[in-house]
Amino acid sequence: MVKEEPTVYEVMATAVAHELRDDERWFIGLATGEKTRLLLQCVPLVGMALAQHTHAPNSTMVVAGWIHNPVVSEIPTRMESEYGTELRDWKCEAQTSDGGSPICYRRGDIDVGFGSAAQVDKYGNCNIVCIGDYRKPKVRLIGPIFQPGHFSLFGREIVILDHEKRNFVEKVDYISGVGYPRGPSTRERLGLIGSGPCMVLTDKAIFGFDKRTKLIRLRSIHPGVTVEQVRENTGFTHDYIPKRVTATKAPTPEELRIIRGEVDPRGVLLPR
Amino acid sequence: MPELKEKLYSLQEAAALIKDGARIAIGGFSVHNHPMAFLYELIRRGIKDLTIVGITNGNDVDILVGAGCVKKVETSYVGLEQFGLAPNFRRAVERGEVEVVEYSEDIAHERFIASVRGEPFFPTYELYGSDIPKYNKDIKEGVNPLNRRKYHAIPPAEPDWVVVHAPMGDKYGNVLYFPNRQSPSNIDIEKSRSSDNVIVTVEQIIPRTRVMRFPHLNVIPRYRTTAIVEAPYGAHPCSLLQTYIQDVEHLTMYAEAARDPKSFKGYLDKYVYGPRDHMEYLKLIGVERLMKLRVVGGDM
Repeated sequence: MVKEEPTVYEVMATAVAHELRDDERWFIGLATGEKTRLLLQCVPLVGMALAQHTHAPNSTMVVAGWIHNPVVSEIPTRMESEYGTELRDWKCEAQTSDGGSPICYRRGDIDVGFGSAAQVDKYGNCNIVCIGDYRKPKVRLIGPIFQPGHFSLFGREIVILDHEKRNFVEKVDYISGVGYPRGPSTRERLGLIGSGPCMVLTDKAIFGFDKRTKLIRLRSIHPGVTVEQVRENTGFTHDYIPKRVTATKAPTPEELRIIRGEVDPRGVLLPR
Repeated sequence: MPELKEKLYSLQEAAALIKDGARIAIGGFSVHNHPMAFLYELIRRGIKDLTIVGITNGNDVDILVGAGCVKKVETSYVGLEQFGLAPNFRRAVERGEVEVVEYSEDIAHERFIASVRGEPFFPTYELYGSDIPKYNKDIKEGVNPLNRRKYHAIPPAEPDWVVVHAPMGDKYGNVLYFPNRQSPSNIDIEKSRSSDNVIVTVEQIIPRTRVMRFPHLNVIPRYRTTAIVEAPYGAHPCSLLQTYIQDVEHLTMYAEAARDPKSFKGYLDKYVYGPRDHMEYLKLIGVERLMKLRVVGGDM
């Protein structure tokens, strides 16, 4: 049994694993920049592999949008890029090569997607397009890429980002991923087949969405983090902190053993 | 039989086909497979007011924007993947110097398929709730005549020109890709079918006899090609998947230089305006560097 304390990234990967169910299809796509790669590719990869090693063996992970069920422990790179000969030759169960099929996105094939954002608002709308007025942005970001599809077509979306005050806003400057605009039942009215963001995961805490109001709510805080630290680093103005805040479930010794021994034995994905 | 028409152009001759104000689609994905040698030649010619229609763009758009060649970009992404945001693009959009027309990635791809198939538009329900149709005035709302449900009509890509970089082809314009390829290559093949004006740069011109021996790899037959150009390492500093990898050192330096207009001008002077032609550019990059990037057997 591993005795060491889990790192924050191991706590996050475990939280991802706990959110995933058996018989699902999971999807991770492109990441821009080093930090986003860690949050959006490495943490989900370890989380998905942990779930497959424990309670979700029949699920399929689609990595970089094209590699089905790779042997994560044998990853040949650090996922610096979505494509490359080494990635193509990574041992896996299936590959797509034309930018889509056989995944039937619009038939709802994907149960869980992973996304990141520069801004998340109180209804879970996400923004990766610009900061400030769209027509005269203060900061231009990467553009919507596949985020609109993640939020409208996928069963649910796990959003992973750095816990910084400016990332959590009342209203995003551009909706590239639609959450629950104006509250409950809007998604049904918009005719979206996916059910939207289910969890916002940071290096400090996990947020979920209130069943009744669809407002974002603090769900748990990671080991060693205080509610005060969350409050200081979160820009929301609505009442998002429940009376009793639970602690994020840290990996059990067995889960930690699987992460370090079976999923990421070379420490390629998560810094230790 | 009379001689076949040759379509072999020099980079300079092929670049001269594209006029100011043209609407072009560029092969490649993020920082892979872009026809960089061709783009450098467009920049040397001082081309202006391009509209770039793309799916997932990267340093292709960034360098053209930084060199002042672009008026408008229609895409889902301009970024440098592991190298971060696209600095010239970012600066130009923040200053209002370039217009961006936003699409999501899957729908930007569907636009090309609509052009391939000659369809009037691509219909979709999936943009409701996002701000894409709010700001993209080229997208119109319609009513599905079959069920009266509202949808968004997405205009086809309709590029005037498509330019892609491929492994090999013959002087008549047949273009061959390796088997077991990844989606950036396959999407480029698809893009080449979305326009009647297609320029292909290739790593090597091969004899027609070899084309005839590997007809199943001929995915852009000569009647679809306007001009074919030999440009070895023509995607550098991007990878050409299965042939050479990205020049990480060069792209890191590019991303750094592009952060500031002055240092970016230094980059352009050294790597684009400095070399007289593509061979001089390759000499500047150096044999050792180029040899390190090769993927021998990447086509296996």
